[in-house]
Amino acid sequence: MKGYLADQPFIPAHHQPAELIDLIQDQGIDLNRLLRHTGLFHEQILSGEACFSPRTWLQLIHNARRLQPDPELSFRYGQRLFPGHYGSVSALLANAGNLGEALQVFRDFSRLILPLLGVRLTVTDKHVCLHWLPSTGYRSEHRFVVEAAMTALASVTRWLSETRLPWAFQFSYPQPGHPEHYEVYLGGPLHFDAHIDAMILPRQYLERPWPQASSTIRLPALRQCRQQLEGGSGDSLRLCLYRHLQKNLADAPSLPRVADLLRCSPATLKRRLKDEGCHFQQLLDEVRLHQAIHWFQFEGYSTEQVAKGLNFNDNTNFRRSFKRWAGVTPAMCLKQLVVGD
Amino acid sequence: MANMTALHRCSIATIMAIGLGILILNLTVGSLKPAAEIAWLDIGGEGGAALLSLMWTFFIFNSRPTGWVTRLLSSGLAFIFFSYWQDVLDEFIQLPASVNWDHWLESGTMPVGMILLTLGIYHWHREQQAINRQLLKRERIFREHRSFDALTPLSGAGYLREQLSRELQHPGRPVALIMLDLHCFDHSRRLLGGADSDRLLRELGEVLVLNLRQKDLLCRYAGDRFAVVLPATEYGAAENLRRELDQAANSFAFKTRRGETHAPTVHTGLAVSKDDDAQTLIDRANQQLLTTRPDQPRVA
Repeated sequence: MKGYLADQPFIPAHHQPAELIDLIQDQGIDLNRLLRHTGLFHEQILSGEACFSPRTWLQLIHNARRLQPDPELSFRYGQRLFPGHYGSVSALLANAGNLGEALQVFRDFSRLILPLLGVRLTVTDKHVCLHWLPSTGYRSEHRFVVEAAMTALASVTRWLSETRLPWAFQFSYPQPGHPEHYEVYLGGPLHFDAHIDAMILPRQYLERPWPQASSTIRLPALRQCRQQLEGGSGDSLRLCLYRHLQKNLADAPSLPRVADLLRCSPATLKRRLKDEGCHFQQLLDEVRLHQAIHWFQFEGYSTEQVAKGLNFNDNTNFRRSFKRWAGVTPAMCLKQLVVGD
Repeated sequence: MANMTALHRCSIATIMAIGLGILILNLTVGSLKPAAEIAWLDIGGEGGAALLSLMWTFFIFNSRPTGWVTRLLSSGLAFIFFSYWQDVLDEFIQLPASVNWDHWLESGTMPVGMILLTLGIYHWHREQQAINRQLLKRERIFREHRSFDALTPLSGAGYLREQLSRELQHPGRPVALIMLDLHCFDHSRRLLGGADSDRLLRELGEVLVLNLRQKDLLCRYAGDRFAVVLPATEYGAAENLRRELDQAANSFAFKTRRGETHAPTVHTGLAVSKDDDAQTLIDRANQQLLTTRPDQPRVA
């Protein structure tokens, strides 16, 4: 499993972080105060050689929020993010022929397009669901990152499709004190306390052709993006593990078995996860909760079917575990769902 | 705007030079007192006063642009500082009895400083009145500098809710709320770039303010959406104002940095209170806005 790590510096400072730096500098705030504790300096950034790691980028966001405590900052940052000037991946996104191709960029090239979040893409007969997943266990700025990512995707898909797409939004956190930014920047039905951070759209928008796309640019860009990953994964280590667990949920994966598969000792895997700010059990619980919600929401499963799918022997046990993961019972959760069958 | 001090480099240098000059003058003419004769309590009191007056001078410099009100205030405080400074130096340095300029410096500068400061404060007060008149339609009843948003000199949604709640306390007096946003601002923003699109919002705010009555209030709700509170206004009058704002904003020809014209189009929504609280009134105005807005962006 070759996913990128939280402390690995590979994000060019003049790519995605630069937009935030510009926004803060527009307010006349000293750049070196913004860069505090990131280990980077102004001159390095201008030289084009400085790189952020996911963690130092989060530190930059933390500094930015402290220096400019305006709740609108994440939304304004998001608006400026895509397609951006990030080399081949920006060309790939800007020339997506339809929504499906655009969303694949986020799913396959998280490392290049938005290294703080990965994407779980679900397409059913009726819906498309883009579920944002944190790439590392460090979630201190999670809300900011989710706000920026959702604004960015809603904005870039509107720009490229030249229509306002009727996204519905789900957020894992409670409604913040400033819903007005969500209303204006995102629009759409907003559902807070929904356990997942996801954007949902009727299926019919997925393959509608977009006007500006050029396959002459897109295909070479796709190849270049694949080359940039150098055979590694477009996902972070945590996301690689997430996807592995998701595929093997029925086999009740455990730490020793996963470690065995990765050809390392359980202690090594534990340590590597700790470096990413997460624990195995916590990640497994998260995968199971997300799977349960996806089954409830898009497949119309009953509680019994979900319990069976997640390898629980009896429903009482499942209900108890679900309550531990989500804070509410499955029945309560079913009521809060955005799309019910 | 983080730091105004840079504008006043010359004035600061002058004050420091005069302070230093007084010190050198004292040292050349007089002689140091023996330690036993030094009254530390006096030094603490006078020295503290000198230090504080110097600090006030810097606060003035740090918070104000150049101009004669600033010059009056800062030179007033500087004279007060010189007076205390000479006072402190007297405690350390024994001047010969033949010298009497030190009395002039000590007692003469104080009234001059006081007069200059008084003049300065009087004109500051006049200046503030002028600013208040300017701000009238952007902030009403009370000032809360924290409620200003970072992008435009308008208050945000929090202040809007506060003011609406205040207005809605009077039953039988309808409050109207207009929501206004730009057509496909997201598209315009990408075409204009960050700096110009931010300026477009600020200047649109100015255009809207010019078309309001004295008692109305303009806020920036979020993003490109503005909110106008019309206190004690019936539906008919509010509808007229809505149409006027619509016309004014639609004939606004914004100029980009390159001098090209970008003419924005706006949509408006209106709600008049009927047993509403602030939130339901905002929601209804937003709803009305969305029904008037076509969903297809204009192809650029």
